Amino acid sequence: MKVPVSVIRLPRGPDGTSRGFDPNSPRYQALSPISISTMGCGNEADLEQEQQARVALRERYLRSLFAMVGHTIHFTMYERVNVSAFFDASDIDILNFQVSDLQTPLGVHREALLRCSDIISYTFEL
Amino acid sequence: MAMRQTPLTCSGHTRPVVDLAFSDITPYGYFLISACKDGKPMLRQGDTGDWIGTFLGHKGAVWGATLNRDATKAATAAADFTAKVWDAVSGDELITLAHKHIVKSVDFTEDSNYLLTGGQDKLLRIYDLSKPEAEPQVVSGHTSGIKKALWSSDDKQILSADDKTVRLWDRNTMTEVKAINVAMSVSSMEYVPEGEILVLTYGRTIAFHSAETLEQIKSFDAPATVNSASLHPEKEFLVAGGEDFKLYKYDYNTGEELESYKGHFGPIHCVRFSPDGELYASGSEDGTLRLWQTTVGKTYGLWKCVVPEEEGGELAKARVSLPGTAEEELEDLTSENSDSIYSSTPEVKA
Repeated sequence: MKVPVSVIRLPRGPDGTSRGFDPNSPRYQALSPISISTMGCGNEADLEQEQQARVALRERYLRSLFAMVGHTIHFTMYERVNVSAFFDASDIDILNFQVSDLQTPLGVHREALLRCSDIISYTFEL
Repeated sequence: MAMRQTPLTCSGHTRPVVDLAFSDITPYGYFLISACKDGKPMLRQGDTGDWIGTFLGHKGAVWGATLNRDATKAATAAADFTAKVWDAVSGDELITLAHKHIVKSVDFTEDSNYLLTGGQDKLLRIYDLSKPEAEPQVVSGHTSGIKKALWSSDDKQILSADDKTVRLWDRNTMTEVKAINVAMSVSSMEYVPEGEILVLTYGRTIAFHSAETLEQIKSFDAPATVNSASLHPEKEFLVAGGEDFKLYKYDYNTGEELESYKGHFGPIHCVRFSPDGELYASGSEDGTLRLWQTTVGKTYGLWKCVVPEEEGGELAKARVSLPGTAEEELEDLTSENSDSIYSSTPEVKA
């Protein structure tokens, strides 16, 4: 009778909440600065300045998302699609926007999820 | 005591897995990327199958995926008419290369500076990754959609396969050097640099050709249509899988069938040996990847060899680990095993 080989555990699967690439892993800690520097940055001071700029821009963008909540947003999308909806929320990786009362040529969708990669631009009035 | 193979199933994909590739061995182990029709290729630790991350961005089925040698970059080919280059450490999309039709195959040069793509538009394209905005060099000649395109001969030549032909191109002159006709539709192609061997599968045949002359060295027939085959780094065995859902292991020298395994619930689309030859991975229509040991019973990765007990001369009962086993015990064992694969103090590159 053949005995099955033991395994100490099963392979870990996706965690379902994020896209992974744990920034705390040894590989990320060691290699990530190299990844950023492949974009042509020079020295430490430049990097520092760029980081500060990125921080400021990201904070501004996140605040803009906050400001959008409850407003009517007009989305310009691929294939000459223009729709408008109330903005509810974005997911953590800014991959999907949750909207309500999405006005489309086919009718109004009470709740919908817009894939961000399909959006070219969006505007709203404060 | 005969041991039975325990495959490790890697879940996460929701549609068929159509392509997979390993990186070389890096200071952090080796890695595996899987291409899936759900459009979300995944990166995994090669020896354990643990999920590391998912590359998000493609808008269609991903038909081809590859890693560069040190697994710092990944490239994918998709049905959304683009090939993308990714940072395989952070998961960020670096470059999107627009094509005129479905892209099926991507391959990095050894220095990761150029990317070769091939697809349904029947053209081979060479992109300079330091100038992604520039037009690629285009090589035409194929009369049907390209299924696989690979660099060969230290990136001096290109091997490409379409439905009925396999062609060899010179990279500098961008002209065809040799072409052979294949009896049936080519299902897969693997290039083995050491020994310049080309592994081709078509119909039920697994064929080995010289990568330099395209002449056939030998071929074997499997019991059913084969979709993919891979040669062991030491060229002792080869593994193949196809439409009967089974994986076959053959002796490369004699062609003798050594082992066969059931396990997948759908046709197998791709099989590859790991760079150290200790395991092979298979991707299937059933949406899973499975890792199989080359030497069944050996301690490696998540597999543990059980030593027979000494007292009374009785055979040991193998402790088959079921999902309900105590996590704490397993976690301790996990960290022991993991350390032995990676070096404990990886060098930090300045």
